[in-house]
Amino acid sequence: MSYRQARWVEPLIFELSKSGRVGWTLPEKPQEQINVPKELLRKRLELPELSEPEVVRHYTRLSQMNYGVDSGFYPLGSCTMKYNPKVCEELAALETASCIHPHQAEETVQGALEIMYKLEQCLAEIAGVVRVSLQTSAGAHGEFVAMLITRAYHISKRDEKRDQVIVPDSAHGTNPASAAMAGYEVVTVPSNARGRVDLKALNAAVSERSAALMLTNPNTLGLFEDQIIDIANVIHDAGGLLFYDGANLNGILGKTRPGDMGFDIVHFNLHKTFSTPHGGGGPGAGPVGVQKELEKFLPVPLVEYDKKRDRYYLDYDRPHSIGKIKGFYGNFGVLVKAYAYLLLMGAEGLNEVTEAAVLNANYITRKLLGVEGYELKFDASGPCKHEVVFSAEPLKRETGIGAHLVAKRLLDFGMHAPTYYFPPIVPEALMIEPTESESKEELDRFVNALRMISEEARSAPDKVSSAPTATAIGRLDEVKASRQPILSWRAYRKSAKE
Amino acid sequence: MGYPYIPNTREIRGQMLREIGAANIDELFADIPPQIRLKRKLKLPPAMSELEVKRHVQSILAKNNPFTQMLSFLGGGVWPHHVPAHIRSLVQRSEFLTSYTPYQPEASQGMLQALFEYQSMIAELVGLEVANSSMYDWATALGEAALMCARVTRRQKFIVPKLISKDRLSVLRNYASGPGLEVVEVGYDRRTGQLDLEQLRAELGGDVAGVYIENPSYLGFLEKQGDEIAAAAHKTGALFVVGVNPISLGLFKAPGDYGADIVVGEGQPLGNPVSFGGPSLGIFACRAELKLIRQLPGRLIGATTTLDGKARGYCMVLQTREQHIRRERATSSICTNEALCAVAAAIYLASLGPRGLRDLAELCANNASYAIKKINTIKGLRAPIFEAPHFNEFTLNCDDTRVSIQKLNAKLLKHGIQGGKPLRTEFPELGETALLCTTELHSRKDIDRLIDALTEVLGGRR
Amino acid sequence: MKAGNYAVPEGLHYSREHEWVKLEGKLARVGITDYAQSKLGDVVYVELPEIGKQVKQVTEQKTKEMEIGAVESIKAVSAIYSPLSGAVKEINAALQERPELINTSSYNEGWICVLEPSALEAELKQLMDAKGYAEYVKKL
Repeated sequence: MSYRQARWVEPLIFELSKSGRVGWTLPEKPQEQINVPKELLRKRLELPELSEPEVVRHYTRLSQMNYGVDSGFYPLGSCTMKYNPKVCEELAALETASCIHPHQAEETVQGALEIMYKLEQCLAEIAGVVRVSLQTSAGAHGEFVAMLITRAYHISKRDEKRDQVIVPDSAHGTNPASAAMAGYEVVTVPSNARGRVDLKALNAAVSERSAALMLTNPNTLGLFEDQIIDIANVIHDAGGLLFYDGANLNGILGKTRPGDMGFDIVHFNLHKTFSTPHGGGGPGAGPVGVQKELEKFLPVPLVEYDKKRDRYYLDYDRPHSIGKIKGFYGNFGVLVKAYAYLLLMGAEGLNEVTEAAVLNANYITRKLLGVEGYELKFDASGPCKHEVVFSAEPLKRETGIGAHLVAKRLLDFGMHAPTYYFPPIVPEALMIEPTESESKEELDRFVNALRMISEEARSAPDKVSSAPTATAIGRLDEVKASRQPILSWRAYRKSAKE
Repeated sequence: MGYPYIPNTREIRGQMLREIGAANIDELFADIPPQIRLKRKLKLPPAMSELEVKRHVQSILAKNNPFTQMLSFLGGGVWPHHVPAHIRSLVQRSEFLTSYTPYQPEASQGMLQALFEYQSMIAELVGLEVANSSMYDWATALGEAALMCARVTRRQKFIVPKLISKDRLSVLRNYASGPGLEVVEVGYDRRTGQLDLEQLRAELGGDVAGVYIENPSYLGFLEKQGDEIAAAAHKTGALFVVGVNPISLGLFKAPGDYGADIVVGEGQPLGNPVSFGGPSLGIFACRAELKLIRQLPGRLIGATTTLDGKARGYCMVLQTREQHIRRERATSSICTNEALCAVAAAIYLASLGPRGLRDLAELCANNASYAIKKINTIKGLRAPIFEAPHFNEFTLNCDDTRVSIQKLNAKLLKHGIQGGKPLRTEFPELGETALLCTTELHSRKDIDRLIDALTEVLGGRR
Repeated sequence: MKAGNYAVPEGLHYSREHEWVKLEGKLARVGITDYAQSKLGDVVYVELPEIGKQVKQVTEQKTKEMEIGAVESIKAVSAIYSPLSGAVKEINAALQERPELINTSSYNEGWICVLEPSALEAELKQLMDAKGYAEYVKKL
């Protein structure tokens, strides 16, 4: 095995603290007395005291005990862990991008407004929608806003009895969670034997109470909902809206558009399809696009362009807007990166992205079907799109070793595990999304690794069940961690005393 | 020519197609109904090389005036501070930058420990024991706090001060609209800005889930009645929520020490650039009580050991609160948060330490004090409009001049100075008032420059 | 009595949702079976019902009124459905501190609540005896 992650027994930064050390300098010493009553001042603050090199060494070591797309294969299904171009990082870090304040006079931030305006146009074209709000910070945030827009729409039509949102059983957890946050009751429809939304069940589930149907296409199984036109008609005939979860956009760029499929509201994950880095969990951006009828409900402000004066401005004059859903205008630093990415790729580039991503996923599928222990639960007859969900159930039945342990052993091969607790409708699921950033050799290595693990499960099961061993640390007591949660240094010290 | 980010060339793709028995790439898209197939190319700007993209985007950005190149006194929820250089070099390390949520703890101890350290430092700063590993920003953290209060107390009313940022209030109302929470505003003392305690007590019935204040206030002054507000809220079984600018906590009493059950705030000033208002960093912390922790939104990192008990380790805990497990019954739909910004905040706090943070806060407040003193020597100007101690933001009123804040700012701009945020639309009762902010980026000379410009624009000293 | 590796004590009544019932005079003590706890894995938290809650006996269509709590492992949450209709009289507070009792002592110290059944005679017919439950489990 050629992989070994760095291992440091790195203390908590509080434990490295030495009184008097400081890791920064201040321009000048405070001179004036500030007039604050003593009882409002704090008496002590316990933060670590370290010099700059100590801080740098500590976090450098921590970074070595981490794994990113730049480290190796990262086939997390529905996350689109593609390569993040570094020029995008450079641009977002420029002073002209990072040192501007949202309340500056508009004439001093024309560049920022122009980028937002043009990004919006690109996203609208890609998805087949009319206008896009860039205010939402993440996918779930975008889904939540889409639900608020949905409600605003129905209220404007005086349709107050729509209190349900329909979600397929294969949906990502954020879908029902966002609908519930917006006050909706969630109704789940089952998938059929082909892994797609069961039209009959959908027909039975829609009613005059249906506010919306939340779908992603391709779905979380990586399968294209080929009956989407019928699905759209069902929810529209019932008076509801159709919402598109854009997490899987990488599978259809340039081939088809959610707007053309009949979707009324579309959200995007810029940190997925549009290649902004995931950052270990954020920051991201989850813009929301809508068709004409819903435009007026979008969060305020939108960026407009005054042709006559050749200037961009923030439009707050939107009386039907749902208002604001974030403090300022959105994660601008992320928007810059996505915009730069679109300029790097162009229309043809995005087309290639999807073709390469879809081919990679289908390639893995064909190869993996030839490996014992893994099977496709749904529809092996047609192609998948950018991701595929295999089941390690045969392996589990035969050896007791399932998806969870396969994922752990994969880490020893220097590859990040695919998603494995999801989607809930596939037992022992391994949700694999290679993206277009992976070479054929890497895919072959991946399939080979899964083959080796399958063989090990039979011949040397301890190797698998004791994995991972090549990572910085082995299996953790996650049960203890949740039974007796220690959530901060304060709590840690307390528990150490006991 | 090939694409630099797509390793499989057309040739290799041709080979792969053959290996899987497909005639061509279109076969893999054959299941898309023809009526919805895109029959034209996407209308996007033509692809450019990296060099061209760099030049192009730089030229657009060049139309911005960064506040580092002029003199700006803007704050109001996102504040300009110096970001030490080593922070950027650390968070740009690709093992952090290009990683995903640490679902596989064995390979992600770096991110997990860094976030645990972030949680710990926030906990110390706000005086509570539990902090999550970030929300989107202050406004959404406030929204989630209101929802949490409602879940914990099973009540439907949430009280906020009238002097809250209207943008934050709008976000809060959107979050409250889900379960139908009623948001009630309580007034303030016109002279001191302090919350109207009498009105608060009148609103506090058995139906209030939480009481929220901002300290320092959106308008920069300190709320001195923290203890009384906490007591009033707790007496009727409501939770007490405080919103903060974390830099101020280098100097001022931690909300956890005056009765806060939940603290929210904007973590951007901790090591993150202003960046036109985003990425931001929502702070969210609560008291270490099981009934609160179980209702906490967002990701939590906990400390544990390896299975054999020999080594320390960190992992995500209490995930059953979250959307990927609890789905429609999750405490929040939040998945991607602002993790990398949180790591930057941890590095920042560790670099400043308690002394550094206190000195920084003092300097910021000092500069405001100095600015206030000087502004009051100018005829027609009054700062602040509230008689209370302030942190680094303050109100400036020019009702006594014939000039509006808008006009004043336009004139200041000609001097290369960005004035404070006009407050007229948010608080018409305050007249021609603006919100100004000073940080360590402002030198005495800078403030003197503002005074000179104001004097010139308004025509004279007192 | 055993069903494969799973303990199925005599003298208890069992539901298809893997709850056991121990009749104690007019009251009924409820918990989950050995089979259920092993499928759940390590329990990290138990959500107990409120004392006084009125619950309905579980049917095919599960509703909120049939829930007497939930059991959480680190990766999943499972609702616990009431095997009988009635009112919750007592809850096992020990589970708050030691949720692992569900795993280690599912039939004894890991009891979940005590009910005052409202339709005992009729509803008992819906439950299985030890032998019946063991057969049921073997087929799963």
